[in-house]
Order: sequence, then structure tokens, then C-alpha cells
Amino acid sequence: MELRNEMQRAYCCIAQIGNLVLLLLWHILHFIVSIFYFVLGIARVAESYFISSGFLKKYKSLNLGKLRCLAIVIESEEAYQTLQVIELLQWLGAIGVKSVCLYDKEGVMKKSKQAILGKLNNAVIFEESGENDKLVDHNHMMLEFASFSDGKEAVTKAANLLFMKYLKLNKLAGDQEGQIFTEPHMAEALKAIGCKGADPDLLLVYGPARCHLGFAVWRIRYTEIVHMGPLKSMRYGSLIKAIYKFTMVRQNYGK
Amino acid sequence: MFVSLQFRLPPTVTSTPPLKLLPPNAHVPSLSSMSVRHVRRLRLPRLSLRATPQLVVVEDDEERGANGRPHRDGASTEERNLLPPGLRRETMPVHVAVIMDGNRRWAQIRGLPASSGYEAGVRSLRSVVELCCKLGISVLTVFAFSTENWCRPKVEIEFLMDLFGRAVREDLESFLRENIRISVIGNTSKLPNSLQQLIANVEETTKKNFGLQLIVAVSYSGQYDIVQACQRIAMKVKDGVVALDDVNESLIERELETNCTQFPYPDLLIRTSGELRISNFLLWQLAYTELFFSKSLWPDFGEIEFLEALQDFQRRQRRYCGRSLN
Repeated sequence: MELRNEMQRAYCCIAQIGNLVLLLLWHILHFIVSIFYFVLGIARVAESYFISSGFLKKYKSLNLGKLRCLAIVIESEEAYQTLQVIELLQWLGAIGVKSVCLYDKEGVMKKSKQAILGKLNNAVIFEESGENDKLVDHNHMMLEFASFSDGKEAVTKAANLLFMKYLKLNKLAGDQEGQIFTEPHMAEALKAIGCKGADPDLLLVYGPARCHLGFAVWRIRYTEIVHMGPLKSMRYGSLIKAIYKFTMVRQNYGK
Repeated sequence: MFVSLQFRLPPTVTSTPPLKLLPPNAHVPSLSSMSVRHVRRLRLPRLSLRATPQLVVVEDDEERGANGRPHRDGASTEERNLLPPGLRRETMPVHVAVIMDGNRRWAQIRGLPASSGYEAGVRSLRSVVELCCKLGISVLTVFAFSTENWCRPKVEIEFLMDLFGRAVREDLESFLRENIRISVIGNTSKLPNSLQQLIANVEETTKKNFGLQLIVAVSYSGQYDIVQACQRIAMKVKDGVVALDDVNESLIERELETNCTQFPYPDLLIRTSGELRISNFLLWQLAYTELFFSKSLWPDFGEIEFLEALQDFQRRQRRYCGRSLN
């Protein structure tokens, strides 16, 4: 009996030591993982620094021919950080981006339009650039401000235009829905209500959520979408890297 | 990566509980000794492994019960045990959408014809459907064929139409057995008549199934979806069912092709093959959908990759209180 108790006690001790060893191994494993992610984070910061400083040759000269329109989507809470928005636009200007659409769901940046434009030397608002927006001076950046009303709401308004056209034609010539409700007609109707912006080639999302937050649904068929993280953590190097990666993409548009 | 270890003590005269060491992600490892003087409770931090590595954030322990396990509302032990480690039932996406990209590239890398890539893609789809059933996901929408794909070589299109028909016929029995409901969205008028009939039959046969709803987008375009919704509304306005002044976003949403499901808005969109765009898929519906771009080609997208996407989604949900539109 005593021998049995002794053996059980010994076994319990071994079991406890074993558990402690396993716990220690678990902690070590987590420590290794933490170190790995820490090093990765440092590497990203370092890469961003080297890109910004021009040490990495491939990022030095970007071929922006493919980037005709860049969209920036910012969480509405972060859009209140006007100074950071301005800094971001200044970076884009320095890189050579000529057409930028700024979007936040609640239209915070729309309301801060004048404050933003006041700090930028060479920006013009998209609506004020006139019909020939393609001929905008190369020294200027064209800025478009968008919000939720330019997304689903705009499509609804455009649809209403088409409805009225359809009802009118229906009275005159019978069933015409096949001729009225087409994608090109919807695109024309959107232009008619003032949504003339081009489809962005690249959309950068600043904020915690990895979604486009309701950006103009009609315009993002083939838009490359990149999540950049919170606006407060934005880095020039990351911006250049995102644009560089975009310039290397080859789309076949489903064909 | 998540290790489950258990070290049991032999039964003793004092009947003390066994020692257990469990992964911190799902359970709190706790030490309980055989007697009071050896009791020492350790609360371990929980670490998350992220798909996009950042500095690891050590999260606070959640409220835990007396046994050290986290509280889960409404989930039985058996249900918890069915989920892979790292996934939570309460933050599982209700609707997952997938752009199944990369079949041709997969075949090209292996020196195989494109048809092999598509067939491998069908096997991947079966695997993901099975996973969705096991994980209790309500809706899975897959982008099988877009309107732009009609521009592909005729031989390829014919093969795809044939493959689609074959896959549906072969898996019909399995759909019925697994209680899967099949819905097809897109401009099916361009599909061969035989395929249109098959689709109609399968939809009718499975319409009363109440398990996973598999929505297959064939000959689909997000812009076309919006336009056809407007066309339907126009007919209703013409017939006096709806007043012109009553037309709003909600009405358009109700007429989109995804009205075939109770949960039309995907919580998570997965696109494979490393491309970072949505390619005219569910344009209206994806406004607040979390986007996950996987570098795997679709035929290589299996359980590990799918679980990674779900874990990434749940991490974002947990941290940013993602809104659900369902």
C-alpha cells in the first residue's frame, strides 16, 4: 500500500514537471512567434524607409501611364485628420499622380474641401476643371471628392432618369425596356446627374476595415483594391510600393 | 500551429482532477495540483497569428468560467469541438463569396491543358462546399463564369459549359443528401438550352433544402445585375405596382439577383490567385464586405487556406466590430 502511494506520488511529480515543461515550451513557442512578427514589422518599416530614401532602384521611377485615376477611401472617423489627408495628397503629387478621387462615406472630406485645397499648391477640383478634364495642365492634380451619395444613391437617381425615359417611350412606342436598361445607358445617366468621374485604376483603403466602404459601386469593376492600414500609420514608402505593384499588374479583363 | 497536449494523472486516493495543458487560443491552460498547497493558476496571454504579419498584439483574456474555459453563448461542448482551433462560432461569416481565379495558371504551371485546371477547380469547389457545410456557413456564392468570359475561345467555353453540366449532374445526389440548396444567378439566357433546363431542374429539386445555399454566378456581371434590377422595377412602375417616388436603394436591392437568399450581402469575399480586384462581381452587394485576397491559385485553395481566410475575418471582426447587413 505504502509502495503504491509512493509510486503514485512519484508519478504525480513527474506529471507536474512534465506539465511545467510543456507550459515552458508553449511560452517559448509564443515568444518565437512574437519575435518573428516583431522582426517582420521592423523589416517593413526598414523597407519603407529604403523606398522613401530612394535606395531601392526599382521604386525610383514609377511608370504612371497605367494609373489614370487613383481613389483613396478613408474611414470617416479618420477623415477628420485633415492634415494627414493633405500630407497624403502632397505625397501623391510628389509621386506624379494627376487624378485623385477622395472618398469617405459620410462626406467629411467633402466638407473640408476648401481647407484641403487651400494647403495644396497645384490642385483643382474635378467638377471645376470643365468638360475637357483630360486636357488638365500636367502641373495640376485633379481632385474629386466623393461620399455615399455618389455611390448607391447616385445609381438610384440615375435609375430614376432611366425610368422616366422608359415611361415616356413606352407611352409612345410600347415596350422599350430592352433598349433603355442597358449598361451604357446607365453609365450615361450617371454622367447626366453629375457623376462623371472615371473608373479608378487603383483604390487605396485607409482604415481598419478591409472593404471599400460603399465607394461608387458602378466604378470599381476592374479596380485594384489595396488595404493600406490606418491613416495614422501611413508611410510614404508603403504608398510607393502599392503604386509600384499596381504598375506591374497585367489584367486580362476576364478574356 | 495550435498544439493540444494533455497530461493525465493517475487516479489517487484523494480523487484530485487531472492536469491538462490546452492551446491558449481555444482554452486556458490551467494547472491544478493534487492538493491545495500546490495550487497555482496561470493565466496565459492569447496570441493571434495574422495572415498579414504585424506586431503581435497580446489580447486580454476574455471572461472565463470556473473551469477556465471562455464563455460561449448558446454553443454546446459538442459544437465547440466541431470547429477547428482558432475559429469561433459566434463570429463565423453567414455569407461567404468566392472569386475562383487561377485555374488556367495552375494548369499552365504544370504543363497541362486549361481543362485540367478547371477540373481541378471543381474539386476545390467541392472541398470548400463541404467545409462550409461543416462550419455552418449559411450561404456560399461562387463566381463561376462572368459575362467577360464569353470572349474566351469557343472551345474553352464549350468545355466549361459541359463541365458545369457534368458537375451538377454528378453532385446532385450529394446536394440532396447534404441538404444543399442550389441557386444560379446571371444572364442564363446565353447558356445552352440543355444547361438552362438542368439548372431549372436542380433549383426546383433543391429549393426546399435548408442547409447551405450554394449560389453559382454564371454569365454574371455586377453592372448587369444592377441594370436588370432597374428593369424589373421599371416594369412594376409601368404596371402600377410601385410608384416612381417610392423607388429607392432598398427597392433596387430587393430586385438584385441575390434576392434568392435571405442573406444577400457577403460578409467575406475571397479572391484567389493573388489578384486584388472584384472583377465586376456583386458590385452593389460588396460595399461592406471584408475582402481577403489569397495568393493561392484556386485549384490549390483547400482547407488550410479557407480556414486562414476565416480566421483572418474573425480577427478583423473581433477587433473592429464589423457590421453585418444581413
